[in-house]
Amino acid sequence: MGAAVTYTESELVLGLKARNEKHFGYLYDHYSPALYGIALKVLNDESMAGDVLQEIFLKIWRGIERYDTDKGRLFTWMVNIARNTAIDTLRSKSHKMGQKVAELGSNTLASEQLAIHPSVDHLGLVKVLELLSREQRVIIDLAYYKGCTQDEIAKILDIPLGTVKTRMRNAIIQLRNILKQI
Amino acid sequence: MDASRFISSGLIEAYVSGLATSNEIEELERAMAQYPEVRAAVNDCQLDMEQYIILQAKPAPAFIRQNLLQTIADEETARENGTYVETSEFPEETKQTVYVNSAWRWAAAAAILLLLGSVAMNYIFFGQINDYKGRYEALLSAQNTLASESNLYRARMEQMEHTINIFKDPSMKAVRMPGTKPFPTALATVYWNQQSKEVFLMANNLPAPAANKQYQLWAIVDGKPVDMGVLETTNTTELLHKMKSIENAEMFAITLEKKGGSPAPTLDQMYVAGKAS
Repeated sequence: MGAAVTYTESELVLGLKARNEKHFGYLYDHYSPALYGIALKVLNDESMAGDVLQEIFLKIWRGIERYDTDKGRLFTWMVNIARNTAIDTLRSKSHKMGQKVAELGSNTLASEQLAIHPSVDHLGLVKVLELLSREQRVIIDLAYYKGCTQDEIAKILDIPLGTVKTRMRNAIIQLRNILKQI
Repeated sequence: MDASRFISSGLIEAYVSGLATSNEIEELERAMAQYPEVRAAVNDCQLDMEQYIILQAKPAPAFIRQNLLQTIADEETARENGTYVETSEFPEETKQTVYVNSAWRWAAAAAILLLLGSVAMNYIFFGQINDYKGRYEALLSAQNTLASESNLYRARMEQMEHTINIFKDPSMKAVRMPGTKPFPTALATVYWNQQSKEVFLMANNLPAPAANKQYQLWAIVDGKPVDMGVLETTNTTELLHKMKSIENAEMFAITLEKKGGSPAPTLDQMYVAGKAS
């Protein structure tokens, strides 16, 4: 990673499609923290998240031929693979909905992130977590990181089904406003 | 819905957060293709969501990188050797994940197992049915053979019974006709019913005639030969051949004649002869 080589996204994609292992190493070095972060948030378990991360990168490597640059950015494609793989694992481990609620509902999430994973981004994350209301944070995380449906979110948060999308919209707008200030 | 309504509908936020249903995803993707401003709004929102994701990034343990590079290097070696087996893993590209109740997933797994089981059983039973069909047909043909043989034997039995009844008749007289000098081993017997005057011939030992020849039986009445008919050789299973009836005869004799018989016997072709009284 020390080498000052950088690739544009299209160079990276071409290299990966040509099955160049150097490009794969570069891809891993640049994107594994973000994808590992997703797996960790979904699964809340470092060992499981590590296994899932390997699965995610193998799917990327084996499936790169199916990636179509016209359909979106490489990162978006990889994030989708990561999210879906992690959520599938979460479900196959027969995590119940109640467990998801317990994980997200408890207020330990924020302090845990701060205490255990201090990173360069942590100031930004602190700000996000401070400025989002607890309900806004939970509704985003339930949908994005736990793969909950509107129906499930309505039950977990005890709100009318018809208001889930409106509340999600407000939460995302608030999140984006915060991100602009960072 | 026009572009601005899409942008304010909340659909974009639902899509980006993974909350949208598959119908909503389709609807939005159609709008993205139709309105560049909708596509731009989705992209902006997605970039911000990704920034939120990146905020939560964390370096993964170092051994994972080593494992992965080793795995893909092994895969590439296998691919070059032609021993690589393509895995059926597809990167999931659907953003919407439909949560399926675990009971349904168990039911689906059970249904798949049942289906696989059923396919296997079908395969096995189909093989068995073919096997049984083959055996059934073999049995059927064996049964037909047996039935026809049985009919044949029954017919022969009836014939034999009929023959025996003829022999058993108390008024039946047997006239033995030994071979003449040129044909010493030849032998035939006439059975002559003294009441009904019926005459039957048994060929005990007569050489097979040429295709254009037939044996003819003669009765000698008052020193003159009387035609008693030719010996039909087509029905070889019959023991007794019914000949013409006659009231009186001093002798019986058999000559070999042209097919169909002759009006007068060819004397040098007399095979057997025997006195009737």
